[in-house]
Amino acid sequence: MAGETAGYFVRRATGLVRAWSGFDAFIYAFFSVNFVTLGMYIMSFGPFVPKGHLLPAAIITGVLVTFLVIVYAGLIAAMPRAGGDYVWQSRILGGGIAFVLAVTGWWFILWHWVPIYGNILSIQFFAPILSTLGRPAAAQWFGTPTGIFLSSLVVLAFVAYYIAIGMEGYARIQKACFWGGLVGLAIVFLLLLVGSQAQFQQAFNREAVSLFGASGDVYAQTLEASRKYGFTPGAFGSMPLGPSILLIPMLVFYLLWPNWGATLYGEVRGASDYRRVFSGMFWGLWVTVALSVVFFLLVAKTMGWDFYLAANSNYWATIYDPKNAPALAVPLWPYPAMLATWLVNNRAFQLIVLLLMSLWFWGWSGTVFLSSTRVIFAAAFDRVLPEWAASVSPKSHVPTGALVLMVVPSIVVSYLYAYRPGFATLTLDATLVIAVTYLGSVFAATIFPWRRSQLYESSPIARYKVAGLPLISVAGVITIAFLLFNLWKWVTDATYGVNNRQSGVYMLVLYALALVIYIIARVVRARQGIDLARIHSEIPVE
Amino acid sequence: MLRLFFATDIHGSDVCWRKFLNAGSFYRADVLILGGDMTGKALIPIVRDGGRHEVLFRDDRHVLETEQEVRAMEDRIAARGYYSVRVSRGEMIALQGDPARVEALFAERMQSTLERWLALAEEKLRGQHLRCFVCPGNDDRFEVDEVIRRSAVIDLAEGRVVDLGGVEMISTGWSNPTPWQTYRECPEEELGTRIERMVAQLRDPTQAVFNLHCPPYRSQLDEAPALDRELRPLYGGQAVRPVGSTAVRDAILRHQPILSLHGHIHEARGVARLGRSLALNPGSSYETGILQGALVEVDTRGVRSYMLVAG
Repeated sequence: MAGETAGYFVRRATGLVRAWSGFDAFIYAFFSVNFVTLGMYIMSFGPFVPKGHLLPAAIITGVLVTFLVIVYAGLIAAMPRAGGDYVWQSRILGGGIAFVLAVTGWWFILWHWVPIYGNILSIQFFAPILSTLGRPAAAQWFGTPTGIFLSSLVVLAFVAYYIAIGMEGYARIQKACFWGGLVGLAIVFLLLLVGSQAQFQQAFNREAVSLFGASGDVYAQTLEASRKYGFTPGAFGSMPLGPSILLIPMLVFYLLWPNWGATLYGEVRGASDYRRVFSGMFWGLWVTVALSVVFFLLVAKTMGWDFYLAANSNYWATIYDPKNAPALAVPLWPYPAMLATWLVNNRAFQLIVLLLMSLWFWGWSGTVFLSSTRVIFAAAFDRVLPEWAASVSPKSHVPTGALVLMVVPSIVVSYLYAYRPGFATLTLDATLVIAVTYLGSVFAATIFPWRRSQLYESSPIARYKVAGLPLISVAGVITIAFLLFNLWKWVTDATYGVNNRQSGVYMLVLYALALVIYIIARVVRARQGIDLARIHSEIPVE
Repeated sequence: MLRLFFATDIHGSDVCWRKFLNAGSFYRADVLILGGDMTGKALIPIVRDGGRHEVLFRDDRHVLETEQEVRAMEDRIAARGYYSVRVSRGEMIALQGDPARVEALFAERMQSTLERWLALAEEKLRGQHLRCFVCPGNDDRFEVDEVIRRSAVIDLAEGRVVDLGGVEMISTGWSNPTPWQTYRECPEEELGTRIERMVAQLRDPTQAVFNLHCPPYRSQLDEAPALDRELRPLYGGQAVRPVGSTAVRDAILRHQPILSLHGHIHEARGVARLGRSLALNPGSSYETGILQGALVEVDTRGVRSYMLVAG
């Protein structure tokens, strides 16, 4: 039976679904720009830009990433169900460029995210929980190479489990983690809100003595140690814009991912779908920015901004400058959630809050391979990768090929990260390489209205213009400038730790590997009578 | 060796139909196969209001001042895969209260569009050494078959064995039950019987092509967005569930054709192996005007090469 929907009529036909919940899309984006796992982690690097301030940097980054959201929402609405960067770039720029950029950015480099996830698991889960349980030696062990390697293997086991149970099972877990994690964060914020700085100093000193055998006024010692090391934290009220902008290439480590894995299913009705896709990512980004601002204010009020920066400076000095680093009274990464729980002198309470906060990790960890699996499948369907890369076990329905291509190299990379001095520096490229892939997609989006004009004109985004120019192109130009700024800073400024020769060579090897695979595929397929160049060529209409 | 081009689920898109007709020369194919669901899903009223027209298209309200603008809008609607109808304000109100009239209008528009498409096919395919098969899908009304049957250049493939040129093919657009209660759906047992009836007429099922609109269950080619009771995608559209047919799966596993061609689930573009059989679902992006398809080279020994294309 035919029915009327908002001024037009639909009949009974497969796939005519109602609009999906924008809130669910928000959860996915919100977890991708993860305020706790990625955010709190990278914020702790703030002292590396001593004159910069995290608060304005987070807001400016949010504004600039919004343009990225506009671009990606446009690509998703114009080419739904395409599966992401690889297919968009293939259709606009060609298969070769798309393969090299997408495979490097969404496959090879994600091997390097596994030990980063492992490191975050170690410092945000194992170490604080074990120390709360009165096992400081075990907590510190998780900071050793073997501890980090073990954490990486735990991450891999969980991610493999998420892939095995499928997206629906993972989405269900993610939703539970979202609510549980929010409860944990609300408790942390509440503790910081009602606690005074005097209470915090007292709690910090008490726990440092009780858990780690420190003595005296450890809070004051932390500040003093930082000063002696050569880092003098700036005042919270001082927010110079110029130096703060230099923090942006760090903060993109958590704020650059609202579009992670975003796609659009079902029939595309029109502009409302564009707005829904945009809203999910936009609010995921901006709620995270808002949480960051609240966090900075609460930290400054209760922990003391100078203490927060000093504690982080001292910790990272022990990692990157161990010869000159001050001795740590609390020999762990100063996890803000753990420090906040110390305001309540109750081990069970502290443990519960830390477990709730760990849901930010468990709900998020499955994101690491999600996009990789899509890229591997898409490349296999395009015959660039062998068919087995997209194979699925007939019994368990697990994508065994993609899983092997992700897991095995990740184990090797995690091992090198843990045991090979200097390799960890190379993983700082993790953000850089994905930014290059984004650059490819954003460039494709910018020229999309002219390069594939028919496709653009038939899309719901064609109506959005700025001064007569397509919105996607205008937002694309701004995003290109933003990404180029970050790339330029990463490559030229030692602050970010990736501008060394080794790092550059390593990146080039990854790109060369992708290029070699593509060239081999072209040659092999040509011999089989398959012209890969034909895959995305448009058939004439007339 | 035969080169087949297979596309599916174009759902009324004028652009995709034109591309389909051009795909033979573009990909140097010997045979064109359209897998099903040819007809559009929506009817867009263009409402006369005095000397001008108003239309709600893709969430946007357009006011059309001239006949030229109305025609251009009709073309845009057709390119998107929808049907348009010019009505007065009073007729629009009447339509809103009369689902049977809307249904009849749909039928009339489908038929006239299809006739126009077939005329275009005559023009494009006549004289070419190219065979073209069409098999309506579960979303297509039964009247569609009659219209196709009248074509001199296109063969209706539903429910029968056809010879592609040394390789036989069976086809059905019927599917297992869907939440939308479409025209050609039936219980799994019945679908199995339909398939077996055709298989019985094949010389050798292991050297045949199965063109079955519905993909096999749990093959990855059948993963559709998981829906709640109100047909709303769950978890922001991220969660997918297998919705394919067990009868189709059983038939492929039992008879092991060289190739099975599927559609139905637009999102599930992909390739799967079921035993020795290669199963393909090129997916569909009909609303964007991109014709997704599969280019396959076959002979009686099997599939020599294949690739999924987006043209």
